[in-house]
Amino acid sequence: MTAPIIQVRDVVLRYGDFTALDRVSLDVFEGEVIVVCGPSGSGKSTLLRCLNGLETFQEGEVIVDGENVATCRNLPALRRRIGMVFQHFELYPHMTVLQNLTLAPIKAQGLPRAEAERLAMDYLTRVGIADQAGKYPGLLSGGQQQRAAIARALTLQPRLMLFDEPTSALDPEMIFEVLQVMKNLAVLGMTMVVVTHEMGFAQEVADRVVFMDRGAVIETAPSAEFFASPKTPRARAFLKRILRIG
Amino acid sequence: MQYNLTFSMLLTAPYLGWIADGVLTTLHLALLSWSVALLLGLAVGIARVSSNRALRLFGTFYVELFRNVPLLVQLFLWFYVVPEFLPSETARWWNRLDEVPYWTAVIGIAFYTSSRLAEQIRAALGAIPKGQFEAALSTGLTKLQMYRHVIIPYAGRIMIPAITSEFLTVFKNTALALTISVVEISATARKIEAWSFKGIEAYTVASATYMLTTLAVILVMTMLERRLAIPGLIRWGS
Ligand SMILES: Nc1ncnc2c1ncn2[C@@H]1O[C@H](COP(=O)(O)OP(=O)(O)OP(=O)(O)O)[C@@H](O)[C@H]1O
Ligand SMILES: [Mg+2]
Repeated sequence: MTAPIIQVRDVVLRYGDFTALDRVSLDVFEGEVIVVCGPSGSGKSTLLRCLNGLETFQEGEVIVDGENVATCRNLPALRRRIGMVFQHFELYPHMTVLQNLTLAPIKAQGLPRAEAERLAMDYLTRVGIADQAGKYPGLLSGGQQQRAAIARALTLQPRLMLFDEPTSALDPEMIFEVLQVMKNLAVLGMTMVVVTHEMGFAQEVADRVVFMDRGAVIETAPSAEFFASPKTPRARAFLKRILRIG
Repeated sequence: MQYNLTFSMLLTAPYLGWIADGVLTTLHLALLSWSVALLLGLAVGIARVSSNRALRLFGTFYVELFRNVPLLVQLFLWFYVVPEFLPSETARWWNRLDEVPYWTAVIGIAFYTSSRLAEQIRAALGAIPKGQFEAALSTGLTKLQMYRHVIIPYAGRIMIPAITSEFLTVFKNTALALTISVVEISATARKIEAWSFKGIEAYTVASATYMLTTLAVILVMTMLERRLAIPGLIRWGS
């Protein structure tokens, strides 16, 4: 078996006295879809942000696509191989959708503008909003904005994608279109780490589910197993709560 | 006693030339000081929100130093005191410059204004959601590219009204330069009064210069603001 594309080993991250990540370990293999869930404040976003070096941790190590994130000399180059999608989209509001997509390919990757635009249009077509390319993000619906944000990450042709609650800020009728885009991505074999409370998506698409609580990974299990019979009481309680609400 | 308004006198030599020189001096003194202030203010404003503690401290010190001493006092300090402390080589070079008062005014006004701009820039940077910085970094932009292509253009649009009002302040503050013998339009008005006793006319011209320029700047900046407005930003930001 090949080495995992993401290796997280005993990572400890503290904010002052507060331990946000408490000896977290996780392996993700190429092509896998991992769903990370857990109560608010359990450290899901923090873990995700450690994977592309947006956060610095005090102990342990994170190796992504063969590079040690903590000691990486060229983080920008590594980050280009890791797409990230945010809860609040974070499209640049003063640029058109197309400019949002081509900025990093042109400035960071050094692609010629024409090629970057061709790539960008290609991905906008795939997420179904090619007709919005010339608009400013503020004029798009939430679902369209999030699809544009996914396309922005994809335009860098990353090796893996990180999603931090990509549908939490969306109205219910728009959640579907975003999840659909993510499912297609999974089918095409993209490695994905998804923080989400969409348990339907987890059941249908995830290979494994990681359950976190108070900064620690409490349980990691194949998706079917996790939903059929969570091993830990905390995961059981969490599932019960969230499935009743969701 | 009757005072005869005779503006036509101002159109004759040597007054016309003086006025032209004075207006031009005021304009380029303001523009140059403001441009330097904008660059300094940008650097200091970014330092103020930097993740580096030393840089943040430096930023705070800088702002408090230059913001809290009256500009007039700062001009005197730059003009009379600072040269005393320059190494003799530098002092000699400085004193041999053609326009020492002018350059002193540029330095004084620029530092003072930059501390005020730095605060505006810090506020604008603080108004940009943290996720924008992270999104830019996550796409592999360097910090410099992030500021250059994402953060500063965004902050700049938020800041147009503040930058405008700061420019207008600079523009009026240039009048203080006459205290260190820069012959801008206010000093010119004084000079004309001394020569011709036509004080009212001379000061009217000076006032008109300030007012017309101010109006022109406001007009241009309002147009710019409208052109650069971010579509849908209000809905986006909420
Ligand atoms: N910069 C920071 N300084 C101090 N504490 C922080 C900081 N960032 C996050 N935390 C804390 O770390 C903990 C984990 O935060 P994190 O955002 O990873 O949680 P999460 O699992 O993503 O929660 P949510 O579901 O609400 O997004 C929280 O208790 C949070 O308050
Ligand atoms: Mg979170």
